[in-house]
Amino acid sequence: MTMQAMINEWYPVGLFSQLDSAGRTTALMGEPIEVARDADGNAKVTGGDGRVLPVRVRYGHVWSSLGEPKKELFPIPEADQPGRRFVDVGVVRVRCSPLRAVENFLDIAHFPFVHTDILGAEPHTEVQNYKVEIREEEDEVWATQVKFYQPQAAKSASGGITTEYMYRVPAPTCSVLYKTCPPRPSEWDVITLFVQPLAEDICDVWPWMALFDDETAMTDLIHFQQTIFLQDRSILENQIPRLLPLDPGMEIPTRADLTSIAYRRWLKRHNYTYGAQLVAQ
Amino acid sequence: MRLSHGFVRGETLSCIYHGWSYGQAGNCLRIPAHPGLTPPETIRVATHDVEETDSVIWVAVGTPASKPPRFDGLTPLRSLTAFAGIAAIEAAAGAKASPEGFVEFDASTGAVCLLLSAWEDGQTLIHVLLKADAGPAAGIRASRAAESLRRRAEGLQREIAQ
Repeated sequence: MTMQAMINEWYPVGLFSQLDSAGRTTALMGEPIEVARDADGNAKVTGGDGRVLPVRVRYGHVWSSLGEPKKELFPIPEADQPGRRFVDVGVVRVRCSPLRAVENFLDIAHFPFVHTDILGAEPHTEVQNYKVEIREEEDEVWATQVKFYQPQAAKSASGGITTEYMYRVPAPTCSVLYKTCPPRPSEWDVITLFVQPLAEDICDVWPWMALFDDETAMTDLIHFQQTIFLQDRSILENQIPRLLPLDPGMEIPTRADLTSIAYRRWLKRHNYTYGAQLVAQ
Repeated sequence: MRLSHGFVRGETLSCIYHGWSYGQAGNCLRIPAHPGLTPPETIRVATHDVEETDSVIWVAVGTPASKPPRFDGLTPLRSLTAFAGIAAIEAAAGAKASPEGFVEFDASTGAVCLLLSAWEDGQTLIHVLLKADAGPAAGIRASRAAESLRRRAEGLQREIAQ
């Protein structure tokens, strides 16, 4: 395990809306940290030894880093688009590698079996060919033209539809999903997965959404997303090995796993190995 | 993901994660994400001999020379996992396992038999069997007694660890 490459990345450490002056104690890559509001109402993050850590407040969350980020936090242009509702879903603690949480988010083939009758249903199990690339300029993994039949694609969906997805991985523990927006077919709904690595084998997952949906109650939007993530948790906590294998080993990938293959390759290329194992076991 | 989290349909066992299904010989029969694909022979899982006797399922490691033991007059009640070794469970029950692997455990309800099976990470699977037709109320009492035995065994295990 090496922290060198990942230590200079931004990570979510809490919801800004829920932060008060008393703050909260949490952890980042094994180090205890304090997240609080200072006297001026700004977010402040303090490391275990009292040093002041870098801070950003964006996409509903407070972001920080144990190192010195070389890049600004990745952009999500839709976060500034008028008419969207922004949903702070909250936190789901998962006893798994932060990288496994992201990889599971990128996978659609499990929908009919894990999110049965919501994000997928038999016999509509086929994953059609889609496109995957590592965009060199942005240094991001992208999967596009992903299509899947979904009985209940979103809280706003009535009945089954074939949903189109695009996935982005702009940071080692973050992914942004663009998804068919049932009430507004010309736009994409944005669902993100921000993962806070508490340690190599445990993480806090902070989903966040930017949706076109003026109808559904906020509580129902949150409940829908929490239902999905709790179903994922039962899978993630039982994966073997605990750390994400970056070298080919016992696993047999298929075409449906192209996003995951690109994600692992990108992690390895950047030496993003916190939560990963290099030697197959 | 272990196949034990999966589901059985007809004569196939399917994984809960992506629904890959396997036949009795361990070969992969179907990958739902690619319904048109015939899974290559190389995709297979290890298989073990299985026997069911007196409502207990036995799995063999390798090729056993004999059939599993019979337990006349015993009724299986439930199975539970303990974060404790066999020695700690024996100590908590106040009895040693017989050559067949039985620990006789006299709960207030009469005799209960525990079948112990060492598992990974120091855990033990405890299969609880009742002597004869004890009735539902006795079953519930035996079940609670087994849970309290597990708590004692896990407490003993923690003491050993310290």
